[in-house]
Amino acid sequence: MAVDTLTLLIITGIYLIAIIALGVLGYRQTKEHEDFMVAGRKINPIILALSYGATFISTSAIIGFGGVSAYLGMGLVWLTVLNIGLGVLIAFIVFGKKTREIGHRLNAVTFPDLMGKCYDSAFMRNVSAFIIIIGMPLYTAAILIGGARFIETTLYIPYDTALIAFAAIVAVYVIFGGLVAVMYTDALQGAIMFVGMAILLVLTYIYLGGVTEAHTALSSLTYMVPEALAAAGHTGWTSMPTFGSPIWLTLITTLVLGVGIGVLAQPQLVVRFMTVSDNKSLNRAVLVGGPFILMMTGVAFTVGPLTNVFFAKTTGMTAMQACGGNVDLILPMYINAAMPDIFVVIFMLALLAAAMSTLSSLFHTMGTAAGYDLWKGKHGKISVINGIQIGTFVMILASTLLAYIMPGNIIARATAMFMGLCAAAFLPAYAHAMYSKKPSVSAAGASLVTGAVAWFVWTAFVHLKESQALGLSKLITGNDALLPMPWQVVDPIIIALPLSIVALTAVVVYEKTWKKSN
Amino acid sequence: MFGISDPQIWISYVLAIVFALACIVYGILNWNSEEESNHGS
Repeated sequence: MAVDTLTLLIITGIYLIAIIALGVLGYRQTKEHEDFMVAGRKINPIILALSYGATFISTSAIIGFGGVSAYLGMGLVWLTVLNIGLGVLIAFIVFGKKTREIGHRLNAVTFPDLMGKCYDSAFMRNVSAFIIIIGMPLYTAAILIGGARFIETTLYIPYDTALIAFAAIVAVYVIFGGLVAVMYTDALQGAIMFVGMAILLVLTYIYLGGVTEAHTALSSLTYMVPEALAAAGHTGWTSMPTFGSPIWLTLITTLVLGVGIGVLAQPQLVVRFMTVSDNKSLNRAVLVGGPFILMMTGVAFTVGPLTNVFFAKTTGMTAMQACGGNVDLILPMYINAAMPDIFVVIFMLALLAAAMSTLSSLFHTMGTAAGYDLWKGKHGKISVINGIQIGTFVMILASTLLAYIMPGNIIARATAMFMGLCAAAFLPAYAHAMYSKKPSVSAAGASLVTGAVAWFVWTAFVHLKESQALGLSKLITGNDALLPMPWQVVDPIIIALPLSIVALTAVVVYEKTWKKSN
Repeated sequence: MFGISDPQIWISYVLAIVFALACIVYGILNWNSEEESNHGS
């Protein structure tokens, strides 16, 4: 990289001092377990919006999905549409307000706690917490890998050291400062991300000669689409893949719908609605949240495809070819090669901030699920806060170990998998809890279990990319996938979420009919 | 539009920008609104 390492280290050092200072502030404001879990329910709306956005948008969204858009094209902007439409507007207005009101009334402090109290059911609390501590480490490990890889290539720190240092720094402020520290640091990180992405967009268009010129140049590269990709439905970077083709199915079912819908029921985001004191704060947060997300994924999915113009000019290859087939390297390589030195530093900080803000929230959510929801009341002489801190430490350790085991090129896929699982398992039961006067625990339980099991079966036995990697289908049946194409590229969420909704509806209808007849 | 000929792509850009603007308008119009919902568990 062109920037000298000393400058980078000094700026990173200043950033880390600011993060530690905010961590200490969070630590000082954390006295009760409610402070640790829901930041005392008195967070400022702007901090909420930036924290929600920064948690939502990780390095995975920028580097992983930005890289995927460099590979598949601008069709990924449909994910931005869902990110804002569902992830902000519907999430805050339809779900956020109900979650805040009900969460306050029932004194819920985590997502599993909210589910348990809404349904007055330890089963709902425990199963929700169990799904979090089983599924979330996968997503967390992907964020860790992304962050560590970026630190490795930017600061020339060995990968293993980067991974441990990265996990350890975030662990310290999460364990000691709880959600107050997490949200304060998120807000700073969100602001850095906003500046970084805004500069990235402007400089890319300047570099490529203007908005229309850049897009026209990208459209003219369609002839460079490799034959194999064209045969799978790729029609160029400024057009949608052929309807129904394998690439179209992956783009729409896994990336756009899987991630777009999955965001609605992510426990680490839902808990944020319970951190503000009134609905007014949620209204104000919407104002900041929408433009923030547009500047994150909208920019990543625009600049990603445009890197093809840069790489075609400089190397005669597509972005994917120039980066040796690793989508996660496309944006870092583009920025290092094309951007002015000072921007490389700013963007490095933005990515570090994106990774840290998501990681801290995942650590916190897994820790509270393990140390509070599952372990609550069994702490013995240990205080509630210390129990959660121990749970957090254990989950951080497990995720870091998983990061060593997981394959490299998996950031975007692991993100989509986690979001799919959240949607299939939690979304119908969560919506039922928020919008039904007397939510049925049997219906919610059936939906949660059906969604999670259907997601797992489809992931392990049908969706080829995962079933091949897991090897379970091969071991049991001798085949990598049980169903033929096109099912092998249909994302688990497309199957599991409707089944989860059907299970909930069927039990609700059955109970109503049974009550009437008795 | 802006060098993108496939309507499926430029419509996605238009929608993303319209939704972001809708967030701004909603936030401004409801800046001090404190309505509570009546339904739910």
